[in-house]
Amino acid sequence: MKPGIKIVLSLALLSSLSFGGESFAMSDADRAMYTEMLENNPADILVESGNELLEELVGGDAALAAFYKVTEDDLAKYIAGFPRYIEDFKQVVTISQSLQGLMHKHGHKPFKLKSAKMFELSSYVKSIANGENINIDINANKHIKKSYAMGENNYMTPRGGRGLACNSCHSDAVIGTVLRTQPLPDLSSKGVAVAATWPAYRMTKSSLRTLPRRFQGCMKNALLKVIPLGSEEMVALEVYLTHQAKGSEIAIPGLKR
Amino acid sequence: MAKRKSLIKIKPKKYKDGDIVKVSFMVMHPMETGTRKDKKTKQVLPAKYINNVKFAYNGKVITTLNVWETLSTNPVFTTYMKINGKGNLTVNYTDNTGEANEKSKKIKPKG
Amino acid sequence: MKRRDFFKHLGSAAVVAATVTPTMSFAAAKQANTISYKNALDAITGGKSAKTSKSVHLKVPEIAENGAVVPVTITVDSPMTDADYVKAIHILVSKNGNARCLDAHLTPANGKAMLATRVKLNGTQDVSAVIALSNGEFLIATQGVKVTIGGCG
Repeated sequence: MKPGIKIVLSLALLSSLSFGGESFAMSDADRAMYTEMLENNPADILVESGNELLEELVGGDAALAAFYKVTEDDLAKYIAGFPRYIEDFKQVVTISQSLQGLMHKHGHKPFKLKSAKMFELSSYVKSIANGENINIDINANKHIKKSYAMGENNYMTPRGGRGLACNSCHSDAVIGTVLRTQPLPDLSSKGVAVAATWPAYRMTKSSLRTLPRRFQGCMKNALLKVIPLGSEEMVALEVYLTHQAKGSEIAIPGLKR
Repeated sequence: MAKRKSLIKIKPKKYKDGDIVKVSFMVMHPMETGTRKDKKTKQVLPAKYINNVKFAYNGKVITTLNVWETLSTNPVFTTYMKINGKGNLTVNYTDNTGEANEKSKKIKPKG
Repeated sequence: MKRRDFFKHLGSAAVVAATVTPTMSFAAAKQANTISYKNALDAITGGKSAKTSKSVHLKVPEIAENGAVVPVTITVDSPMTDADYVKAIHILVSKNGNARCLDAHLTPANGKAMLATRVKLNGTQDVSAVIALSNGEFLIATQGVKVTIGGCG
């Protein structure tokens, strides 16, 4: 086939795709209705229950601040900078992992990263930073720098049977294209700012989920080998996407389709 | 009987006597229709859904909801109420299996 | 929606299916209630006709992102006084196995006639709000919702 014909064909395909998408795309009024639902997010109950869990386990925010070695006034700002390198852990950790450390220090068996209780606890802790802007600093030290580079690499590298990377569906070139009736979102602060809106209530699952857990669902459906929660690679991916959403205001819990 | 997680929200947060405020009641409940199967055991999950919700303000019932299994999992109910003095807003809810629970919130009008 | 129709037919032929192939036993799954839209409407109005009115504001998305959580908001223009108030707001849907979703019995103490909740829709269909007024009249508002199934995961 001549290159010229190829281009015409693919253009025709593209326009038919976007037309097909439009007939199913939601109107602004519909979007406004879904935004309004945030007001009564069922996950608010779970965040509140995370608050109770924290009080029950370690006594509340003060113990958390002490564990992070910051004053209670600085706690929100500190949390808005996760994932971060913490000397005690000798690695870059997410909020959930730091909470496992906190539980261990107080003599409790840490919740599993995949457990509903950990989702509740970490959602509450992140919600302390509601209203703050994400202030992750990827140049703070060599550890986080390395993690960011690894995350970027993970994001861009095609994997699996179909040779898909995160970037295949979430690069500037394809954002807004409709895939299975849903527009592909911009994950950065220009779009949905995932790092600022997860953990979120997932309507399709009727439950509260964390961002790495969502990554896993995405990987599974795209036929990529699922990266384990808490692994260096998964944390790196969260570091990369958190940096993309830097400056966005944190609003936990989010509400997702 | 398992204690359910629930929440009552009043909007706006600050109100005074005579104000008409938005009241939302949310509860974690599966709202099983009786047609779904457990993915692991392949057994049909029996119907379990909230069938009645009562909003009472200082003992006086202001709104009664009859509910069917067709509402979403973890349902939310929003309505309005007129603030009329200090007291309690109590939400009583039951489901089709006979489970009964209650949640209440203090009403404190200012000014 | 074809697939759903297929399952519906299976449901009505449950007995036959069960005897022919034991693997079809899933058809034995039974919804808690099966009330048709017409029966539900008659049960509410007692056979009286409900008229459409501009004072009923039914808000549903034209296109629902997800059939499992569809927001429905109903507001009725009413003074909500002892003499003239909205007695009840009913939510009905046209195609679910059970057409009834919720009946809200209001009183003047509500101050404003409004009800919002979230319903499950098993496919593209109409959502109706049936309003019972204190003077015995019934009002109705209906709007279609397109349910899309898609997205990643």
